Amino acid sequence: MNAGKDKPQGNVAHLVTGDGEDKRGRVRYASDERLQGLHSVADATLGYMPLEEMLCELLERIKTVLSADTAALLLLDEERRTLVARAARGLEEEVRQGVRVPLARGFAGRVAAQGEPIVIEDLDRAEVVNPILRQKGIRSMLGVPVHVEGRVIGVMHVGTLTRREFDGDDIALLQLAADRVALAIDRARLSEERAVTEAMQRALLPDVLPEVPGMRLSAKYLPAGSGIKVGGDWYDVFQLGDGRMTFVIGDVVGRGVLAASVMAEIRTALRAYLMEGHPLSRVMAQLNDLLISMGRDRSATAAILQLDLQTGELQGVSAGHLPPLLIAPDGDARFLELPSGIPLGFRAAGQYPSWRHLFPLGGALVLYTDGLVERRGESIDEGLGRLLEAGKQAAGGEEASFADRLYLKLAEHTSLDDDIALLAIQLVPLGDRMQLTLDASPGLLEGLRRTVARWLEAQGAGAEDVFNLTLATSEAAANAIEHAYGAREGTVTVTCEKLENGARTVTEDSGRWRASQPYGRGRGLAIMDAMTEGVEIERTDDGTRVTLTKSWRPRR
Amino acid sequence: MIGIDVERRSDLSVAKPRGDIDAANASQLREELANCLTPDADILVLDLSATGYVDSAGIDMLFRLNERLRQRRARLLLVIPPGSQLARLVEIVALDRAVAIHDSVEAALEADAAGTAPRPGSEGD
Repeated sequence: MNAGKDKPQGNVAHLVTGDGEDKRGRVRYASDERLQGLHSVADATLGYMPLEEMLCELLERIKTVLSADTAALLLLDEERRTLVARAARGLEEEVRQGVRVPLARGFAGRVAAQGEPIVIEDLDRAEVVNPILRQKGIRSMLGVPVHVEGRVIGVMHVGTLTRREFDGDDIALLQLAADRVALAIDRARLSEERAVTEAMQRALLPDVLPEVPGMRLSAKYLPAGSGIKVGGDWYDVFQLGDGRMTFVIGDVVGRGVLAASVMAEIRTALRAYLMEGHPLSRVMAQLNDLLISMGRDRSATAAILQLDLQTGELQGVSAGHLPPLLIAPDGDARFLELPSGIPLGFRAAGQYPSWRHLFPLGGALVLYTDGLVERRGESIDEGLGRLLEAGKQAAGGEEASFADRLYLKLAEHTSLDDDIALLAIQLVPLGDRMQLTLDASPGLLEGLRRTVARWLEAQGAGAEDVFNLTLATSEAAANAIEHAYGAREGTVTVTCEKLENGARTVTEDSGRWRASQPYGRGRGLAIMDAMTEGVEIERTDDGTRVTLTKSWRPRR
Repeated sequence: MIGIDVERRSDLSVAKPRGDIDAANASQLREELANCLTPDADILVLDLSATGYVDSAGIDMLFRLNERLRQRRARLLLVIPPGSQLARLVEIVALDRAVAIHDSVEAALEADAAGTAPRPGSEGD
């Protein structure tokens, strides 16, 4: 039995006017009782109540107005395709027992599946999934769908203990109540989802980009449109212990909390795999297998790039992600159209070839997600063309950051309904003074040596001088780490300064010396002595300062 | 942690660390290297051609590893590319007086087979 069969929608106007002359008349000149009912359901003050209170109040009112014995609201769990009891009056057990009704089955399941009101005059002759309805002795029922933007999000129903024929007006009134509920639920869900996704986003995107000598990093993350449905776009930047920089950009298909949580899982797994030191192709393959084994019904595109700062060698791997944009020091820009594997999460045992490319000093690299270049109604080539031009122009500027300049050029062309993640990396010459602050961990020595060596090369030191001063500074830092370890401020600072024909490094720790403690290991001191021309060790109240000086003949 | 490529043969093992040896990895590396040798093998060839820097902790480790192998009646042969910065360093710290240094893995094996491998003094550090 389907009372809404001949009506296009369970909407008040349709129901009221579509049911024929006399019904229209009855509503237009509704009885006082009906009018009161309408007022009671349409009452604006309901809108100011907290959601739970509002739902209960509305169910209570609808129960009264329709002279029903029960009123209940079930919401659709889209993941599981079931309806879950959310609030009830006269049927409170339904909520307490967490009744679940599969979609398309039973009374409520059919209302949701058909998206139209259903009336049951005699429950004894109908299929009912929820045992509580029978236990209660309910005889007749009326159910209407709860719609949001054309989608069914739940079902609202009333029931009577005596046999009752619900008419078009009853349906219209219940539908009006359901529409109110729909608005309230939707608003509450959106603000809840916004709060969750915002919190996830804050937690997941690096709020501060690492400061690395010789490198300028800038990034942007712009959530789609209203900013309510955060997507699965992300970027990540970190430095491995050996000094190599790792850049990640990716995009999980879909939006909302689920996409964001899959993104979080991928991001964490990626960091873990990369820190274990696996080759990039293997990292991507592992990630793909992980995503498939977790049974997440989500796919993602991603690219991982690693940069050796000393050689400028860039190594990368892509899982169906858009090609990185490389802007040469002379302003010439091009996309690195490199081999790529299929997106993650589609097929197990995917192959992800890695590639190498030179990232020249003075150049810039841009990683981005499709929101930056895709717009409905045009080919992606047009968007990529715009990005290429914007990249060239951004490379010439100085104001704000590279990512800001680039985005500014593209902002008016980007679509509002997709997220945008953007990460720009510029390689800039090292100045004649460089200061590094490291955590007191021996794992960072290799990265320190690479950075110091890179700086010395930039100052014109030859291979032997680079090796000597780098190793000596590493010895000083290793001693500092040993002393600073366990200290309150567990950091070591290394300052490199260019001299007229040479260089000086100053390594400072914040560890306090015990009077009897000798400085470092004997061999460490011997190496510092042999490798430099001046080793100066000062003990201060705050810690130790080791100054190492090395001169070299100017290169021609 | 640093990776090591290890090739185990019946009478010897060749180990090649991929990267620097320093305070961060020296002690763990010493254990891994000492365990590279099968019970019957008595030669460990340590190929440092993919190693850029060895700091004082790394040098200490090499002296100790040499001593440990000597006590097991095994030998350590070091491969360091000639003319490299590392070759200079091992001279400065006199590691070359305790351990045989060769230009390549092949050279180390040939010299050992011919019995011409320099038998370094065992004074250690």
